[in-house]
Amino acid sequence: MEAAEAMLGDATMSGAVLATTGPRRSGWVTLGWAGPGALWLLVFLIAPVTMIVLASFWTKTNTGFDAFKWTFSNYGRLFDTVVYREVLVDTLKNAFIVLVLCLLIAYPVAYFLAVCIKSIRLQIALFIVVLAPFWTAYVIRIIAWYPILGRQGAINYGLEKLGIISAPLDFLLFSNFAVVLALVQLYVLFMVTPIFFQLATIDQSAVEAARDLGASPYKVFREVILPLSLPGVLIGCIFVFVLVMGEFATVQIIGGNQIQSVGTIVRSYYTNIDLPAAAAGSSILVAVMMIGVAVLLRFAKLREAV
Amino acid sequence: MSTTPASQATAGAASAAPVGSSGGGSGLHLDGVYRVFPGGVVAVEDVNLHIANGEYVVFLGPSGCGKTTTLRMIGGHDEPSQGTISLDGEILNGVTPAKRPVTTVFQHFALFPHRNVLQNVAFGLKMRGIGKVEREKQARDAIDLVGLGQMANRKPRELSSGQQQRVALSRVLVTRPKAILLDEPFGDLDRLLQLRMRVELRALQRDLGITFIHVTHNQEEALSMADRIVVMDDGRLQQVGTPTDLARHPKNVFVAKFMGDNNTIRGPVVESRDGVVTVQGKLLRGAVRGDLPVGQETAMTIRASAVQVSTSPEAAAVNAGRARLNFAEYLGDSVKLHLDVQGEPFLAKVDEARYAEIRAFEGQDVTVSWNLEDGQLLEL
Ligand SMILES: Nc1ncnc2c1ncn2[C@@H]1O[C@H](COP(=O)(O)OP(=O)(O)OP(=O)(O)O)[C@@H](O)[C@H]1O
Ligand SMILES: [Mg+2]
Repeated sequence: MEAAEAMLGDATMSGAVLATTGPRRSGWVTLGWAGPGALWLLVFLIAPVTMIVLASFWTKTNTGFDAFKWTFSNYGRLFDTVVYREVLVDTLKNAFIVLVLCLLIAYPVAYFLAVCIKSIRLQIALFIVVLAPFWTAYVIRIIAWYPILGRQGAINYGLEKLGIISAPLDFLLFSNFAVVLALVQLYVLFMVTPIFFQLATIDQSAVEAARDLGASPYKVFREVILPLSLPGVLIGCIFVFVLVMGEFATVQIIGGNQIQSVGTIVRSYYTNIDLPAAAAGSSILVAVMMIGVAVLLRFAKLREAV
Repeated sequence: MSTTPASQATAGAASAAPVGSSGGGSGLHLDGVYRVFPGGVVAVEDVNLHIANGEYVVFLGPSGCGKTTTLRMIGGHDEPSQGTISLDGEILNGVTPAKRPVTTVFQHFALFPHRNVLQNVAFGLKMRGIGKVEREKQARDAIDLVGLGQMANRKPRELSSGQQQRVALSRVLVTRPKAILLDEPFGDLDRLLQLRMRVELRALQRDLGITFIHVTHNQEEALSMADRIVVMDDGRLQQVGTPTDLARHPKNVFVAKFMGDNNTIRGPVVESRDGVVTVQGKLLRGAVRGDLPVGQETAMTIRASAVQVSTSPEAAAVNAGRARLNFAEYLGDSVKLHLDVQGEPFLAKVDEARYAEIRAFEGQDVTVSWNLEDGQLLEL
């Protein structure tokens, strides 16, 4: 959990790095501006992550841990259990599926809002409507799936009434399907928002110029709008990837005991007072997220070079 | 992907179409063109204009007069509410910008920021389905033509505005349009570069023989570049003519004022005899060739450079008067006199050689006069 929070901070940072290419200012002015932010990062990002990484080398004892005996065995223990390896792969797979689904849903929505709607007022009004789910609490948004997907939920009830099925469908809730669905619903906005803002900054005259030079509507999209919106797509992908990788609450509520993620495993180690193993699990998660973000950034660079 | 060969085919068919296939002749015709925006803003009103192929036409007018709107309708980025636009006999109404044989150089160049110079210039050819090798060869030639051969691999943000301007121009030139539309092409350039680009652009247009339609609010730019100037105000054409026409014979009060360095006298006709009418302004009285009944409200104009200035005190009654010299502005080859006839501004231009003599009279009265032939009547 802490790890997820930490990575969220990191994702925001990469966004900021992408955006700023201004001239360098020197000396005390820079320090004055950068100081508070740096302090914030130190206290809430670097220090906790360092702590977790350190804790992953402590030795587990029957009553807790021994911080003076250093060992690699926690990592060994994790990878010796098939479960952790499998769940790590599943979490990555789920993150990838959720990422792709979010992208497929978010891009058309953002495109419609930013490009098809010409009136700024309507744009803002519709954008607020898109944000509306955020007005309810996180847990409520998750629990709301129960009456829809449950054995006696709306879908099963409806399908049974229509005679399409004779027994309720079990895969709807407490399944990977349900987890993916809920995660997409929760995080799709983190994809819509950056893409929307990126699309809204595209210079309309560049679009007109493309049309003027003979581009069909599809070519205008392919050659101008899509490439110019990629920074927003990238930031959205980093957001969703990092958030979904660190998820455990949604997985637990919607997945029941059937579905696990790295987050739920870390949590169960933690509740079993195996702090070093929990720390090792988190450290691996952070490392995997960093690799994932690096891959995304690399991908973006390649695209820009084309 | 599959659309490109199709659009190429149509573009080819368009240029091969016989002249006069659907009314109108060769060249660009605007017939009774109106553009009314939702909310009732009449941006363009009853524009009728013929532009011959190969002509350099400049649309000139103050901000908000409808120049850009007119240009956008020719380019296909906006549609007339009423009236037709045709090119070489072909009606353009309803034809998408992609299929019109005219291309626009946009106000702030509108280069593709994610593409380098070569890709920007090759874009139009790519859209026509021309292969990579061929289109890059043509694009390189076009870049060389505007002297940017060394910068083919740079992104637009790595170029100065003058260089961006050239890229925008060559991006349009490679597609070999019948007409090029330029919206305030020099707006983003510093003055020295503007002057140089005027010469370059004009030379380029002569070499290519393509119709150029250029929009500006700078009368000096219009006078120096145009074969013909179209003066617009308030959505309407005010006057269409050669630069000399407009400089010497402004048609109405707006054009006389907008072209600058003209004096207008406005008021009733007080005398009309032998084809000469006398107009009584607030203070100045001017005689001019014309035939109008006594009492009619009218206006006349005299170019600043036709005004004679004398530092001796005698004054005639008509076509002359005493005026206070507020400021003698030295322009290098001439001196512009900012005069004041009891509150009414009045301009005169005299030879540079008289600067010392004239300047001594700053703050004092001088005598201004002009020949009957130099005045002319204006429409109100
Ligand atoms: N999309 C639009 N909707 C409503 N009114 C518009 C629109 N575009 C332009 N207008 C109005 O039409 C008039 C003419 O605008 P246009 O842009 O053609 O002026 P312009 O001559 O190019 O001015 P400038 O020199 O400032 O560029 C203006 O009054 C403008 O406010
Ligand atoms: Mg304009």
